[in-house]
Amino acid sequence: MKPSLWQAVKLVFVKEFTVGMRFKAAWAAMFMFALTTLACVSLALQGGVLEPRLAAALLWIIIFFASMAGADRVFADEDTAGTLLALRLYGGAQPVLWGKMLYTFFLLLVLTIFITPLFLLLIGAEMAAAGAFVLALLLGVAGLAAAGTLLAALVTGAQVKSGLFSVLMLPIILPVFLPAIFLTAASLGAGEVPVGFLGGMALYDGILAVGASVLFDYLWYED
Amino acid sequence: MVTITFTGVSQCFHGRQIFGPLEARLSGGKITAVTGQNGSGKSTFLKLAGHLLLPSSGSVLVADDGVELHKDALRQRLAMVTPELRFYDRLTARENMDFLLGMRGMTLDEGEYRDLLERVGLVEAAVAHSYVGEFSTGMRQRLKMAVLLASGADIWLLDEPGANLDEAGRDLLAAEMRQAAARGVLMAIATNDTREEALADETISLAGG
Repeated sequence: MKPSLWQAVKLVFVKEFTVGMRFKAAWAAMFMFALTTLACVSLALQGGVLEPRLAAALLWIIIFFASMAGADRVFADEDTAGTLLALRLYGGAQPVLWGKMLYTFFLLLVLTIFITPLFLLLIGAEMAAAGAFVLALLLGVAGLAAAGTLLAALVTGAQVKSGLFSVLMLPIILPVFLPAIFLTAASLGAGEVPVGFLGGMALYDGILAVGASVLFDYLWYED
Repeated sequence: MVTITFTGVSQCFHGRQIFGPLEARLSGGKITAVTGQNGSGKSTFLKLAGHLLLPSSGSVLVADDGVELHKDALRQRLAMVTPELRFYDRLTARENMDFLLGMRGMTLDEGEYRDLLERVGLVEAAVAHSYVGEFSTGMRQRLKMAVLLASGADIWLLDEPGANLDEAGRDLLAAEMRQAAARGVLMAIATNDTREEALADETISLAGG
């Protein structure tokens, strides 16, 4: 009897969360990177205020590289621990993909919720459009999670996983990354908020998620 | 009845031919031993049989009453015990089983779980609060057997299943294999153990090269 997709996705998510909480390597790597960069920014600014465009770029650079430290592990950890065979035998392609994508989204969302208020406080930013700011963060993180999960699966068999992951990630995520920076900058007071970018980001996130879903079957099954 | 048919199958790794071309047919209710020297491709044969690897040439057809099984339909009926199969070290035996079986839509209540552990010679009290990473190699092998038995699969691909088991464990394994074959389970065992080989109804010998 096959479980429903949602039940199986929940199982994968809960498994990822439980293992993640007990191992903590991905969480520690991401949060340590974020804390270190935030501390560097704080020390460099010495109480000064950052221009909104620069602040937006800096915030997304921190989120992007912090996510690189953790998001590439979703399949690499299974490979290293030797559990990939068990997962392939018992788990269907779609539940595994969506469960891991959901977990990566959750992980990056927690990271973003941790980084953003600290960052805004440190640079003394004033919020001009909070709604657009939050939506840009959500859509940007969703894009990172979708692209990150697929690429993590793609590079699992490669010899130089981390290097390849980062190299491939940037061009794929750029169509989400750039509008996210513009929207964040506008939300912090650099001109009018380009609301249309939100639709574009949502559309690209959808394409990434659907593309990942279609491609993943070919990675998961040999026939 | 489930069958696995190898037609003209050859397997190469890095330009070196491991075996083939090979013709073979495995059927439900029979135990097939796959034998050969180290490196002759026994484990590869099992992966090919389970569609976990594509052959370099030829085809491997898994079918039930002539209807081909693909992807999820095949995986749902497949179980393996192999040295490569590892469970999550930071989950308990119960958590591992709940996750893996749950992915197939199966649940075990407390009684079924206890009975299953007992059947494979694991004491629930001894494993209840331990992560699988703390298990001995023999205990992990018994846990693999427990998952295999609970999976409800009717295609068993076993790679040296008696490895790391004591005498009692090997006897238990042999009894479970005979019972499963009697129920119609298709079974392939990659082995060089004469006792396991003696259980088989037929043998495929991989010469290598």
